[in-house]
Amino acid sequence: MVATERTTQTPFAIDLVDVHKTYRGRIRALRGVSLQVHAGEIFGLLGPNGAGKSTLVKIMLTVIRATRAGGTVLGRPVGDKPTLARVGYLPEHHVMPRYLTGRQVIDHFGALAGVPRSVRRQRIPGLLELVTMKDWADHRIGQYSKGMMQRIGLAQALVNDPDLVVLDEPTDGVDPVGRREIRSILLHLRERGHTVFLNSHLLSELEMVCDRVAIMVQGRMHQQGRIEDLTRDSRRYEIVIDGDPPGWLPPDIHVGASPAGEASKQTLLVRLGDEAQAIQPLIDRLRGEGRTIRSVRPVRESLEDLFMRAVENEDHPGAVRGGRRRAEGGA
Amino acid sequence: MIQFTAMLRDAYRELNSKKLFWIIMGLTIVSVVGFGSIGFGPKGMTFFFGLTSVENEVLTRDSPVARILYRAIFKAFLVDLWLTWAATILALIATTTIFPDFIARGAIDLVLAKPISRLRLFLYKYFFGLLFMVLEVTVLSIGAVLTMGLRLDDWAWEVLLAIPVVTLFFSYLYAVNVFLGVVTRSALAALLGTIVFWAMLFALALTVGIIDMNRIPAEMGIEQARQRVTALEARLTENPEAEDRLAQLLETSREELVAQEAAIAPLARWRDRIQSIRSVLPKTSETIELLDRALRRDSDINFGDIMQGNVEPTADGGFRAKREAESEAAARMDAEQRALSLWWILGTSILFEAGVIAAAAIVFIRRDY
Repeated sequence: MVATERTTQTPFAIDLVDVHKTYRGRIRALRGVSLQVHAGEIFGLLGPNGAGKSTLVKIMLTVIRATRAGGTVLGRPVGDKPTLARVGYLPEHHVMPRYLTGRQVIDHFGALAGVPRSVRRQRIPGLLELVTMKDWADHRIGQYSKGMMQRIGLAQALVNDPDLVVLDEPTDGVDPVGRREIRSILLHLRERGHTVFLNSHLLSELEMVCDRVAIMVQGRMHQQGRIEDLTRDSRRYEIVIDGDPPGWLPPDIHVGASPAGEASKQTLLVRLGDEAQAIQPLIDRLRGEGRTIRSVRPVRESLEDLFMRAVENEDHPGAVRGGRRRAEGGA
Repeated sequence: MIQFTAMLRDAYRELNSKKLFWIIMGLTIVSVVGFGSIGFGPKGMTFFFGLTSVENEVLTRDSPVARILYRAIFKAFLVDLWLTWAATILALIATTTIFPDFIARGAIDLVLAKPISRLRLFLYKYFFGLLFMVLEVTVLSIGAVLTMGLRLDDWAWEVLLAIPVVTLFFSYLYAVNVFLGVVTRSALAALLGTIVFWAMLFALALTVGIIDMNRIPAEMGIEQARQRVTALEARLTENPEAEDRLAQLLETSREELVAQEAAIAPLARWRDRIQSIRSVLPKTSETIELLDRALRRDSDINFGDIMQGNVEPTADGGFRAKREAESEAAARMDAEQRALSLWWILGTSILFEAGVIAAAAIVFIRRDY
């Protein structure tokens, strides 16, 4: 995978080590979070409400001060203000000055990021084009829909041509067409070598664009890595046949509940692993017995499954890992 | 510099979007036009650009009293009444939302994530918040200078001192407003708190003023009593034969003096206490009165003298204030006011403001948003 090759050759864009945040009232929002984001990748941060995702993002961007934090952002210590000139940020539920037009918003935040006026003038038309807001550029923000504000917010996050773009729920309030456009912008940013850090609840969207993800639960980092790696254990082949399970099944084949229900008189056979070659003898023997094979399909956990498993495990630390449980005990 | 310019431009755009700013600006311009509608002809004053006139031999175009009156009207109506009361209240209403809006969730995140320190952000936002009053008072002052210059050929450039003086006056209140806005995050709480604070300053200054209205005549009475005692003592030395009568008179005068001094002592004590409290608070009324010093520097005639007709010609062709004993007390109060040091008026006020701003800045800088 291209992204993987690039990431292994480049240093971390974000390398957080043992980040703690305790709010007044002794609420422990972060309990020693460590996180690595490679330069040039799209990274997704997941977690249920209250997991500490926004707190972590805000610490990186100096909006919140960490109780304790090690590591770097773009090679500089966490909290280093000058580094933010190389970072673009779109917060969740952002409020932009309503008295400004879209063009003025991009210009204003570009200036605050230290971008010279001549450069801003040059960049802004292209950014408006990119987020398809050219026709509304000179209308006041107060007249914008939620989706339009997200687009302008995204444009202001890009005005300083940042090395790292941090987007908190960027598709919030955006219609499906707009979401697709934002996804293509993110992919375009990655192609140009930008690092994109996404914080989103829309797991399916993250799955579509992210090279790597991290899952946070209750202020702790639960898992992080490539989606393929995180779901490797859950990869399996599912074969649905008519009738009862054969008596000769080898030990690596598990019997699960039929997806069509008990009344269907069908049986689900599951083999863990993603090697197609390994299930060929099984299919041959079933066919040899004249069994009807309804379907054969490779299955892996979705990001949503992964997420739900992480949340459940955090709530019930002794629970069996979902992928295997599903294979062993049925759906 | 890029960030400085961006914040300044944003502050202007924010002002520009506020209807109240333009309403106050409109009223300011109306005030200046009203000021300019007053004129002085060869026989007296004219009103409404000459539509009506009042004959008055003292208030003619060439009379220095006309110039004094023009300046006094500027100070009494445009500054004291309009700028430091009505416009200030409206300005506080208009600007009280600046900081609560700035630090609202979702808004502050965008700004703090930029490569600019929190202290600089805070200070830019604070000082540019004063732009509201700067623009209003600049329009009014320039309008007044032009009016006086064109009407009476009196180019009173010292009127422009109103720009820093009124802005400074406003900044005392604005500092408190910002502090409350940052701490409470509520525009309404900040506004109410500021008005209560301003009312407290006003009440303290008013109390001192009322005490002085009693203290100064009393002190003048004591001075006269002392002079009488001294005179009686001298007479007693010169005329020993009138010893009994003079000694009795002297004794009575001394007793009266002691009684007067005893009567004034609580007043002086309370005045000292209040003034010591005021010494650490901003001196709003005294700050505005500094303008008076600049505008009246070549005459002791004040607005009240002209309005009450207490102006009389002098031998050299000029004019001077004609005062009764009662107005002598007022003049002495005026003189005391003028004698207050700049350090006491401005220095301590600016120190207070700096302290409040520092406290607000600390809250702003240390807070997690």
